[in-house]
Amino acid sequence: MNEFIEQFLVEGRELVAQGSDDLLALEENPGDKERRDSAFRAFHTLKGAAGIVDFEAMAQTLHAGEDVLSAVRSGAVVMTAAVTDLCLDCLDQVTTWLDQMQATGEVPGDAQARADQIARQFRLVSEAARPVGAASFSEATEEVGAEPQRGAPPPAALAVLEEQVTLLRNTAPAGLRGRRSSAVRVAASVLRGIDRSSEAADFERLAGATAPPEPLAETLAETLARLVEELSPPGPAQTASPGATPAETSVRVDVHRIDALVKLAGELTVAKNALGHCARLIRDDTDPRRLAAELKAQHLQLERLVADLQQSVVALRVLPLQTAFQRFPRLVREMAGALAKPARLMIEGATTEADKTIVAAISEPLLHVIRNSLDHGLETAEERTALGKPAIATIRLRAMRQGEHIVIEVEDDGRGIDLARVRSVAAARGVASAAAIAAMSEAEATDLIFAPGFSTAASVSDLSGRGVGMDVVRTTVERLGGRVFVSSRPGLGTLIRFNLPFAVMMTRVMIVEAGGQMFGLPLEAVVETVRVPRAAIAAVGAARALVLRDRTLPVIDLGKSLGVEPATGGAEATIVVVSAMGQLGGLEVDRLGERLDVMLAAPEGLLTGVPCIDGTTLMGDGRVLIVLDIRELLE
Amino acid sequence: MSYRILIVDDSKLARMAVGKILGTVHPGWTRVEAANADEAVARVREATVDLAVVDFNMPGRNGLELVAELRALKPGMPLAVISANHQTEIVTRVGEAGATFLAKPLTEAALRCFLDTAIMHLEAARS
Repeated sequence: MNEFIEQFLVEGRELVAQGSDDLLALEENPGDKERRDSAFRAFHTLKGAAGIVDFEAMAQTLHAGEDVLSAVRSGAVVMTAAVTDLCLDCLDQVTTWLDQMQATGEVPGDAQARADQIARQFRLVSEAARPVGAASFSEATEEVGAEPQRGAPPPAALAVLEEQVTLLRNTAPAGLRGRRSSAVRVAASVLRGIDRSSEAADFERLAGATAPPEPLAETLAETLARLVEELSPPGPAQTASPGATPAETSVRVDVHRIDALVKLAGELTVAKNALGHCARLIRDDTDPRRLAAELKAQHLQLERLVADLQQSVVALRVLPLQTAFQRFPRLVREMAGALAKPARLMIEGATTEADKTIVAAISEPLLHVIRNSLDHGLETAEERTALGKPAIATIRLRAMRQGEHIVIEVEDDGRGIDLARVRSVAAARGVASAAAIAAMSEAEATDLIFAPGFSTAASVSDLSGRGVGMDVVRTTVERLGGRVFVSSRPGLGTLIRFNLPFAVMMTRVMIVEAGGQMFGLPLEAVVETVRVPRAAIAAVGAARALVLRDRTLPVIDLGKSLGVEPATGGAEATIVVVSAMGQLGGLEVDRLGERLDVMLAAPEGLLTGVPCIDGTTLMGDGRVLIVLDIRELLE
Repeated sequence: MSYRILIVDDSKLARMAVGKILGTVHPGWTRVEAANADEAVARVREATVDLAVVDFNMPGRNGLELVAELRALKPGMPLAVISANHQTEIVTRVGEAGATFLAKPLTEAALRCFLDTAIMHLEAARS
């Protein structure tokens, strides 16, 4: 990829993130001048960047956005929710274009239509802000909105309304006034006909506003179009998420960490030379005691350096959790809007760092938990006010480092988990027997939400979906080597806590099948794999041996030694040659499988103390893979 | 004659763009980069910088403020301010600060024009 486009993608994403952040912060604090200027600068710089890579369409759109933000700075335009929405939509579109460019390496060729659409909407805002009746005009546009949650109007009515939109969009000067008044009359009458009198009145009031004829017609068209959309039956679930970022194969690294590594590399070179010196001492027949002392000192030094090296390398892969959290405020805003449940997300500890793998993997589970909270955990604004709670709900997202772990909490001030309901749904879904469920303690009952297939949504909402439940969240977290807990206080709220390892050390294993089961062999212990004719394996007393390239190897039937089925015979035997502590051995298996990178969890529960087991890991299909300890096997 | 030119812009992409044009016009010159006013002043202080091209819109001190500072540090140093905003007000202020206004996106012709004038000044100053 062209280096300009590469840099454009990097900066583009940063600027979009910065701009979104500023816009949301500005919405919370409309008087914040720094945020206002920063948002403006984000659009301005994005526009400039688009110009540099010759992405004309994007530059035009951002220019229109920049004009609006400039007008906000000068006070000519009020930063309403609609304007914020528009700016955020524009940034979303930029992200889509960036994703396209990431995939193709080129400027998208089909961007003009959408770019024009957004630019036009920006211009409407700018023009609507002209002094003549400006303030009341933009307010009036806001007012024309459909009341939610009523039956969808007949398609014929919507079709007629859409006709009026088209009529209004025709801004040719000849007959403009006539078209406008006719369209307004028809639209208002249709709206009254489908029992939307208040919307009709709002619309008529808007049409009577003082504004130049062409922008007025355009605004009426857009407003009516928006109204039609609001009235239309809901389409397939629009997930608010702008989509997962394409897998990042590069990481931005703090320069200091690189410097630390460079320094370490230097020290390791010195240690290497010192060892060379020891070798010379041996050759020159030096006093063994002096030699021993020298070697010991060098070994200690190397140990220290290698430990530092490991730590530094892990530190390279470490990212602040902000990377995962950054799209959440925006998503919460949209979900809260869609559910009509005002809510605010407060984030603490976003600078807490964790391994890149963890940061990438925790995003989806966290999002699911937040969605659940909004969907099920929070009451509506009316319910909250009736209960004496603040109308705007608060969801707190907290991250902190605790020793070798990261703790992330999602806490809401909603209604808490209705245990009676959880129990009854669990019984209905056959998660456990009714008796068992009744006997469960509160803590155990709360834990039922993690059971597979569990979903208490009475009406499956578009957001949380069916069956993508807390069980998936738990599995994902456990696969990362972490744990998830839930605690709830009825009427006060719910807290979900993730406990995750700070760093992820992966082990490469080779999967083999023996005795009908799958096992993992640490790849570092595997020397080679061979297929030999059965005749080549000789019996030596009770044991068996194989001669491979002039070396005699003991041959162990893996299945048999682990207490499962012995190897299925056959003319040929599949042998994995392994090495541990300088010893070589051959393990006979039924079949060889693939190689995987896995995160090893120490054996627990029934498996602790069972010999020959190094650890366990969860495979993609949910099965547990037992990884074997080669050394113990060979003994 | 090879000169050292300082390019100041908070966007690395923009610096790359200026650098690319410069590479076409004067490939032999040395480029020094800075991402903000503080870095720019540091670069000028630590080694010879013959001329500078500065972005107007930067967080912290903007291009105009930086130009004033650089003027004080090195009077007579040819300076240009690049901006995407062509408003008369900005162009005038740039002129009053004794710098050349260059429009964004930067073209080879515009940069060449600034550089030719700058070279004339620098050579006159030598003699």
